[in-house]
Amino acid sequence: MISLASYLIISIILFVIGLMVMIARKNIVAILLGIELILNAAALNFVAYSKFVTNNLDGHIFALFIIVVAAAEAAVGLAIVIRFFQLKETIHIDEATQLRN
Amino acid sequence: MEYTIGSIAPIFLFPFFAFVINAFIGRKLPRHGDWLSVIAIFISFLFALRIFFDFTGTFATDYYIHKVFNWFDLSAGTQVFKVNMGIYIDNMTAVMLLMVTGVATLIHLFSTWYMHDDPRYGRFFVYVSLFTSAMIGLVLSDNLLSVFIFWELMGFCSYSLIGFYYEKEKAGNASLKAFMTTRAGDVFFLLGIVAIWQVVGSVSFVDIYAAIADGKFANQQVLGIGLATFAGFCVFMGTIGKSAQFPLQVWLPDAMMGPTPCSALIHAATMVAAGVYLSLRTYPLMVAGDLTHFIALIGAITAFGAATIALVQTDLKAVLAFSTISQLGYMVIGVGVGSYNAAFMHLITHAVFKACLFLSAGSVIHSVHEQEMPRLGGLRKKLPFTFLAMMCCTLAIAGVPFFAGFVSKDRILGDALFWGVFAGQNKVWMIVPILGFAGAFLTAFYMFRMMFLIFFGKPRDHHLYDHCHHEHIGFNSNVPLLILTVFTLGFWYCGTLTGQSFGKVFGAKTEWFKILIEAPKVEKFVGRSNQEFSSVDTRIKTELPKAVYHHQSGYSGPSANNEHGLHSAHTYGAIGSIIIAFSGIFLAFLMYIKGSVKPMADTFKGWTKALQNRYYFDDLYVGVLIQKAMIPFNRALSSFDMGIYDRFAIDGWAKVNRVAFKASRWFDDVIVDAVGVDGTGVAVNLFNLVLRIVQSGKIQFYFIVLVITLASYVWSVNL
Repeated sequence: MISLASYLIISIILFVIGLMVMIARKNIVAILLGIELILNAAALNFVAYSKFVTNNLDGHIFALFIIVVAAAEAAVGLAIVIRFFQLKETIHIDEATQLRN
Repeated sequence: MEYTIGSIAPIFLFPFFAFVINAFIGRKLPRHGDWLSVIAIFISFLFALRIFFDFTGTFATDYYIHKVFNWFDLSAGTQVFKVNMGIYIDNMTAVMLLMVTGVATLIHLFSTWYMHDDPRYGRFFVYVSLFTSAMIGLVLSDNLLSVFIFWELMGFCSYSLIGFYYEKEKAGNASLKAFMTTRAGDVFFLLGIVAIWQVVGSVSFVDIYAAIADGKFANQQVLGIGLATFAGFCVFMGTIGKSAQFPLQVWLPDAMMGPTPCSALIHAATMVAAGVYLSLRTYPLMVAGDLTHFIALIGAITAFGAATIALVQTDLKAVLAFSTISQLGYMVIGVGVGSYNAAFMHLITHAVFKACLFLSAGSVIHSVHEQEMPRLGGLRKKLPFTFLAMMCCTLAIAGVPFFAGFVSKDRILGDALFWGVFAGQNKVWMIVPILGFAGAFLTAFYMFRMMFLIFFGKPRDHHLYDHCHHEHIGFNSNVPLLILTVFTLGFWYCGTLTGQSFGKVFGAKTEWFKILIEAPKVEKFVGRSNQEFSSVDTRIKTELPKAVYHHQSGYSGPSANNEHGLHSAHTYGAIGSIIIAFSGIFLAFLMYIKGSVKPMADTFKGWTKALQNRYYFDDLYVGVLIQKAMIPFNRALSSFDMGIYDRFAIDGWAKVNRVAFKASRWFDDVIVDAVGVDGTGVAVNLFNLVLRIVQSGKIQFYFIVLVITLASYVWSVNL
């Protein structure tokens, strides 16, 4: 039987990888991918806790919602990336400094 | 007759509106609006006539009407401070109203003739209307405060009318003198009002009478004297000022600088009558304050002193002015000795004949343009109607039987005689009747001296005489005189020809004046006090006294129940005053017609000089009081003002302010501007520096911050 700790370890690994991608990579698309990873880590947590702690389907439903929201978020994020590319001809994150000051 | 505000107020309001209209648009009206003033006062006269017949018709001494409305209210908590205005009408008011409006109507009418070629014709009627309405307001007033208001209004009007010919310096000075002198009395009057207010809590006559009856004045002291004495004295000082009594008589002779009709108004119907009217209204206060001896003495001194000064005057109007002072002295004697009814009767009769005398004098002056008697003479052929009017009035003032002056003056003198001689007082008070009778002798003498000098003998200045036109009867020139002349006869006032108990005319059952006018019985006002917003309307019919003619004066002084003594005193008094009047006339006849007695000016040089200088009262007031006392005092005050008050208080305050200003400016510059305003900017700038570093625009930096924040949050929660 796989224990709760294993799930959580996987989830932490996913989360840290996502976080590192978000912080370290300069490619906006990669950052979006990192966000996806973090969301998935969260969804995995929900499912794990749902299975081992509460014993009902609330966590699963939440995970489904997260997947839907992540899809929508990825769509919006990619749209922004496309517009950004049209504007700056690059997808380097350090060029996105319009909100500065 | 129902008494509402609508039936009483028009008496006052008609002349007042005439004043307002004339003052603002009189210049644009035809004839400068004189018709407006005349009609207004005539309508007032009709209203007054209605009230008069209603009151005299009831024949009730206790009848009065009292309407009160609240004027303003400054009460706070338990402190009651309400000021009411109201109308108080009793028999005395009714008679007074009729006299004031009647005489004023005739004076208005005469003025349209006398003043017709004056450049300020319209303005004269403005003042005269205001003057009359103020007097009517005073007569109608139910409290001392509104009396005071109208009193001052009259003071102002007399000031403007005396100074009417302001081009003449003397007229301007005279108007100032009149205003200032009466003001000296008014200050006391105001003090008296305050003193009364303090005790009674109101200044309404009804409340004052009730307070006297309740004995509220009894144990009150102020400055070591009884409060009733203090208040009564102060109020009487108002009378002294307004009615030109000794020692404030100096203004009245100068008041003749005004136009003659205005002199008639001041001397007869309005101003000086107001003073005596006030002391009659406050008579219970005078009695409560035990001031009657003082009042009688003042009256006697005035009556005699003014009569002596009148002996040497050569100006026609000056003689009349001093005779006014003298006659007012008789009224004040009447108040003092408790001859309430006769004092008031003398007020009325004097108003009639003195108005007529002044109008006649106006007629003479207007005809010959001269008022120095030594230049006149023999005018009776040229001015027959004026002569007739003036002769009747002179007979009246001299105290010849059948005329009004005899009736009223004789009663005052009879009462004074009884009061001074028979009433069992200290014999010192005999001085009052003695001065009174001596003054009566002099009155007869100087009035006939005036008559003889103006109308008899040969013209002394033919140029003036020839230029005087023969007098024709005219609606507004001599008809007012003749109307007034009719009322100089005595029977109008007493119902008998002589004022004694014989010779009744037109079936008069009673003597209306005697019954209707009597000193206020303070007891009947108890419990009527403080009835605000009320309309107290008493109509208690008194039984007609059986012995109406027994003692005729309504004497209420000491030993008033000694009817036999009163009767004999009046008999002696009447005989004495008839003898005195005729001997005065006879002396004047011998001196100025027959010439068998030389005028005594040369024999008594010092006296004549003193009299011509009016006993040096003007010199005393101007030379000593003003020059020696008031002006140095004024200088001292002024140096105090400049040296101490200005220097230390005003300039010192400025210095204090300057220091305060500097401190305030430092505070403003340093604390407010530098720290508060600029400090805020600097602080914001500093934050800006910090925030600029944080807000780099690098998204990944934001992520790191976010993560660190979240992590530290989770960390702190776990801990």
